[in-house]
Amino acid sequence: MAEESTRRRNVSSTFAGSKKEEDFGYRDANGVQDDVDGKGLSAKHVKFLPRGQQHVRRRALPPPSTLTEFIQQNWEWIPPIIYTLLAAFTRFYQIGKANVVVWDEAHFGKFGGHYLKREFYFDVHPPLGKMLVGLAGLLSGYDGSFEFKSGEVYPDHVPYTAMRVILASFGAGMVPVGWFTAIELGFSQRACHLVALMVLFDCAWATISRFILLDSMLLFFTFTTVYGLTKFHNQQWRSFSIDWWFWLAFTGVSIGCVISVKWVGFFVTALVGLYTIEDLWDKFGELQMPVRVYLRHWAARALCLIVLPILVYMASFKIHFLILNHSGPGDAQMSSLFQANLRGNDFAQNPLEVAYGSKLTLKNMGWGGGLLHSHAHQYPTGSQQQQVTCYHYKDDNNNFLVMPRWDENDYDPNGDLRFLEDGDIIRLVHHATGRNLHSHPVAAPITRLNNEVSCYGNATIGDYQDYWVVEVVDDLHLGSKGNVHHIHSLTTRLRFRHNAQGCYLRAANAILPQWGWKQVEVSCVKENNPKDAHTYWNVESHWNDRLPRGEVKLYRSPFLRDFWHLNVAMMTSNNALIPDPDKEDILASTPYQWPWLSVGLRMCGWGDQQIKYYLLGNPLVWWSGTASLILSLMALGIYLLRMQRRYNDFEPGQFDHVMYVGKVAFVGWFLHYLPFLIMGRVTYIHHYLPALWFSVIMTGHLLDHFVFKSKRLSERTKWTVFIFCALAVIETFLWFRGITFGIEGPIKDHKGLLWRKSWNIY
Amino acid sequence: MEKPTNVYATGFILGALAFAVRLYKISNPDEVVFDEVHFGKFAAYYILREYYFDVHPPLAKLLLGAAGWFVGFDGQFDFENIGDSYTEHHVPYIGMRVFPAVLGSLTIPLVFAIMRECGYPTLIAAFSASLVLFDNGHVTQVRLILLDAALVFFMTMSLYSYVRFRKLRYWEFTFEWWAWMIATGVSLACTLGCKMVGLLTFATIGTAVLVDLWNLLDIRKGLSLEHVAKHFFARALGLIVVPFFVYLSFFWIHFKILTHSGTGDSFMSPAFQETLQNNEMLLNSQEIRYYDTVTMRHKDSKVFLHSHPDRYPLRYDDGRISSQGQQVTGYPFNDTNNHWQIVPTKSLPPTGRGRVVRHKDVVQLLHINTDSYLLTHDVASPLMPTNQEFTTWAVNDTTRYDDTLFEINIIEAHDGEPWKTKSGHFRLVHVPTRVSMWTHSEALPDWAFKQQEINGNKNAQERTATWFVDEIINDETGADLRNRTGTVEPKPVKQLNFFRKFFELQMLMLQHNAGLTASHPYASGPINWPFLISGISFWTHNDTQRQIYMIGNVVGWWTCVMALSIYVGIISADLLARRRGVYPIPEPLRNRLWNSTGLFFAAWAYHYFPFFLMSRQLFLHHYLPAHLASALVAGGVFNFIVSETINYPISIPGPNTRLRPRTHAELGVRSFIAVGVFVATLIAMFLYLSPLTYGTPGLDGDQVNRRRLLSTWTLHFAGK
Repeated sequence: MAEESTRRRNVSSTFAGSKKEEDFGYRDANGVQDDVDGKGLSAKHVKFLPRGQQHVRRRALPPPSTLTEFIQQNWEWIPPIIYTLLAAFTRFYQIGKANVVVWDEAHFGKFGGHYLKREFYFDVHPPLGKMLVGLAGLLSGYDGSFEFKSGEVYPDHVPYTAMRVILASFGAGMVPVGWFTAIELGFSQRACHLVALMVLFDCAWATISRFILLDSMLLFFTFTTVYGLTKFHNQQWRSFSIDWWFWLAFTGVSIGCVISVKWVGFFVTALVGLYTIEDLWDKFGELQMPVRVYLRHWAARALCLIVLPILVYMASFKIHFLILNHSGPGDAQMSSLFQANLRGNDFAQNPLEVAYGSKLTLKNMGWGGGLLHSHAHQYPTGSQQQQVTCYHYKDDNNNFLVMPRWDENDYDPNGDLRFLEDGDIIRLVHHATGRNLHSHPVAAPITRLNNEVSCYGNATIGDYQDYWVVEVVDDLHLGSKGNVHHIHSLTTRLRFRHNAQGCYLRAANAILPQWGWKQVEVSCVKENNPKDAHTYWNVESHWNDRLPRGEVKLYRSPFLRDFWHLNVAMMTSNNALIPDPDKEDILASTPYQWPWLSVGLRMCGWGDQQIKYYLLGNPLVWWSGTASLILSLMALGIYLLRMQRRYNDFEPGQFDHVMYVGKVAFVGWFLHYLPFLIMGRVTYIHHYLPALWFSVIMTGHLLDHFVFKSKRLSERTKWTVFIFCALAVIETFLWFRGITFGIEGPIKDHKGLLWRKSWNIY
Repeated sequence: MEKPTNVYATGFILGALAFAVRLYKISNPDEVVFDEVHFGKFAAYYILREYYFDVHPPLAKLLLGAAGWFVGFDGQFDFENIGDSYTEHHVPYIGMRVFPAVLGSLTIPLVFAIMRECGYPTLIAAFSASLVLFDNGHVTQVRLILLDAALVFFMTMSLYSYVRFRKLRYWEFTFEWWAWMIATGVSLACTLGCKMVGLLTFATIGTAVLVDLWNLLDIRKGLSLEHVAKHFFARALGLIVVPFFVYLSFFWIHFKILTHSGTGDSFMSPAFQETLQNNEMLLNSQEIRYYDTVTMRHKDSKVFLHSHPDRYPLRYDDGRISSQGQQVTGYPFNDTNNHWQIVPTKSLPPTGRGRVVRHKDVVQLLHINTDSYLLTHDVASPLMPTNQEFTTWAVNDTTRYDDTLFEINIIEAHDGEPWKTKSGHFRLVHVPTRVSMWTHSEALPDWAFKQQEINGNKNAQERTATWFVDEIINDETGADLRNRTGTVEPKPVKQLNFFRKFFELQMLMLQHNAGLTASHPYASGPINWPFLISGISFWTHNDTQRQIYMIGNVVGWWTCVMALSIYVGIISADLLARRRGVYPIPEPLRNRLWNSTGLFFAAWAYHYFPFFLMSRQLFLHHYLPAHLASALVAGGVFNFIVSETINYPISIPGPNTRLRPRTHAELGVRSFIAVGVFVATLIAMFLYLSPLTYGTPGLDGDQVNRRRLLSTWTLHFAGK
């Protein structure tokens, strides 16, 4: 106890400010400090700014006259330049060695090619990354004609090396951005070097950057976002200055880019969001700040961190739509009107008015809706009749015929034309199987409260449950229901009411299990909600030889509608990527395995003659990162306990800074890791790569805090620790260089790589 | 009003009302309702002493079993379907229903007592209690043979004991202090013993304890570290160690009672099953010797390993090519094509123990009818390109000898353990390629008569690649198999360490709990619960148009939701104001709001939000514990709104406590009127919905329609 009281300093001074603390009970020490000295321009802030950022104005130096002087004056630029060069080495060295399509190049190479051919395609990821792949292809003279089949050898006309190099530049860019981020976080020189070395020599980051994939861009933009955030943090003492605005906007643009590459970018966005909320909360407590200024702070952030990213995101889609103006494999994901605008699409030439005997496809008009579909497979549950689904690709199984009721005369192909009108009661016959669209009071497989919809019977067998009432909602061209006499293809919005049950045909993005091929469930909803767009359908393709072809005219489809439609479709497909319990995916791994690096991933075939790449982190980087995260929590706990007992371990302001860096690292890691635990979709080891950056920051931070900035350790010890860590990271990379640069010859010849039994290297 | 006699009288009246409301027409309906299908059955198993498996811990079911035993239930009713008649089968179901109803009724005085002990005036306490008392949801749930009554009761008991414990803070380490702390611990263990949701109650109390300890640690309290440590260890003992042992004891009793083989056997490991009387493994498990002819079954799908002379087609529909070898399939029925002989790959002694097949032995499997060996090779299986095809190879052709070698890999076995029928669960691992023989529910096309596909799974440790030998058909001599081990009497029941049994069961419960993902028409997402968007249809009777529909009292639940949002509003406003240097709420009032109502709010949040993370199927009745907590919050908020004064002191002053002056809460006449009007509305709504709660009287279409207050309620017998 004696020791306790002697080491307790500053007690009285903090007491003064914390009279009100009693009632709170669990208020953190951080809050107390804020109350004491109202943050802002105080000296404490300046002290922990990195070198060169402290707002003691540097006197302008005379221009350098000799080379030595030049180097001396620009000394701070030397390390990043060297690291960039080294990064170019780890990312570009022998980049073209494997002349086959490696791993997901099969997808992204193909998507890139679509931009060159300007054919519309569909994918679950936003377009920016793939447009950059397309750009890389354009710059290197690729014509988009290669199929990118997995494992296939690249033909001569595909400049895959150049494409890989261009995309790998993003991977190389991670290293200098990492270095500058460390500087901005106020790390000591040694810690900065270690962080840069870890980014440079992590095998997983290097490997994934070397192929035609989106990950190098995702990582690069994640890095720039964090960099923007740290840079902005250091401008906080001079709010609304040019630099302040610049870095705030930089962060916003960066966020826009990262979410336009993959939606995983939302996690880093959440980090920026939390930082901003805390920042605004702090400013809310600054009583001397005028309300106007405070509101301006809000407005600035809303503008730069919300509006700007959304604009960037939407711009990437706008460009996407502008480039892809030809019909292609992804058409059916979009609304019929959008498709009608694509070149090579013949919707506009469909007969305009639908008649009995017409063959047509029906498009659901809900966001992300697909085409009404049926196929010769039965429901395993319910009625066990033939499945009816919503399908997002064009296929003969989407075709239905408009037929009269059983109690009417059979359709006569030579009789009078009879056009389809509002209120008609019809049968819809599936063209390929001849069965009738049918519903009955049996619970649908997923939305159990709705009726099941199936295909049943044939041309002679059927019953009253096959009848559907056509209800016109309105027409996008003709206007309200009153103007619609005949049903028009593409523009008339219809609903189908089941005549016997009174329920409405609906497809609302519920995904069927594997037995339904993960297609969208179609059911019959008992509630009549006239506003439910998921019960709206329109005629998309329409064939009828007896009717005149429609005139070619452009139907307009507004951008915002297409944008939103595509995003919902992406979301729906993303949700369909749930793991299939019946199917073992050898490549997949669970998030629990990542921090301990218990799995790697074979990126290509493992034959003796093939060049083999293995996606595996640098074990030292990964393990030290995980260890630091755990250690940081323990350290925080101990510091808080000590504060509660009024030991003073920090200089004024130091605690705030240590907490700030720790929060960026830990919260950043947490936000990039936890969602994968919760979400049900298939996960792979490369999903951990963005989170890894934050664990690396934490490693740097803890080494910096406990070793490099320690006042107790000698310079000698610091050097020893530094050199040891640096060499260990470099050595491990060199040991594992094969998995990054490509292993030639039989894998058995490369010994000593199996550090953990669970890696499937051999 | 605040005189002790008045307080007790109020509590008593509330309790009496609770009993009246919950026991009213408890015999109706005399049919199995909703989950009575499960929990009635489990109670019967305790009486029959047959082992069963369920995802919930045993306490509540033990109590139901005890209630059944007490009223003379003989266990001879299987609660098969909702709507099965009790009276026809002479089941004393009323006694079994009364027990949870009594627990459910006792919850009401407890709620009242919690509010009183926390210092709220009697009126406020009665307000909170009536929110639970006249709640259709609680009443529906506790009148039936279900677990929730016990769960909610013990949860309330935990909160009550903790409040009593906390009030003794100036009397630390006295007998009473210890007693209430251990009572808290025991109640927590009982809550957890009813359902795993009890963990959330642990989290609630745990948070409160941590905050408490954190304040004790504050240097300004002037306590030495040793003293704080003493507090810490006392709580660890009372709130962790004691509950743990109490929780274990439930399982100990559970295992002590369930000593006979029953429906739950097949969930457990062979070692566990052999501790149950009349278990099939115990009766029929025999050692297998070389040259025995056996049948093998897949553990999960129970199909036999089967082969027949038909061959795989050369080309499958998707264009892949097969070996055109003899088909090996999974077949669910007995057939001589299921017979396989175990052929050694090493020399055997002529007689004796050396002829027993053991763990890790490499064998060949001879298909008797077609005289060929089981084989697998690097050819894709018919349905899964990733897995290996299984086929057979003629006996006299030795070119593929290596590919016919399989290792018997008995699960959790030690080296040299003999392979037994029934109990010897094993994986059949192919020696050259290390794949495990595996099957899945997908059927092969017509060319294999829709039998199940057998293939080689590359994950040799695959959990579902488990097989067992069903039966020894005959051995090479053809002698009577029963005599060869020398004994024909039933073997004695084996013993297994209690902790091994406990951990095995606990792990299985967690696994199966997470696996309950099948969709259910009345399952609903947590976001719908507080607003009563949809209920659950428990029971219907077509002839009389009667139904039980589990739904809360709309007035009460929406009041609770409002109270919760007002609480969040007040707290946020307080935080924002203080951030701007304004202190709007007087200090004593604010303490009450943060600490006492805060505890209730935390209880609500802990019992509600974790459900958002659960992917299992969820039902409205999972919200009942959270609803009870929200009723407490409602009392606190109501008090804050109507009165600026509080009762003080609440904690029992110690010898050295310096007290601020004593104060009393003043509630105006208007509060009495407000509560009176509110409770009257509450009761009116309760009575209006009561036909859905009690399942009587029957309602015609129009009456049903009128009671369908929200369009999302899916009531039966609705009029057109």
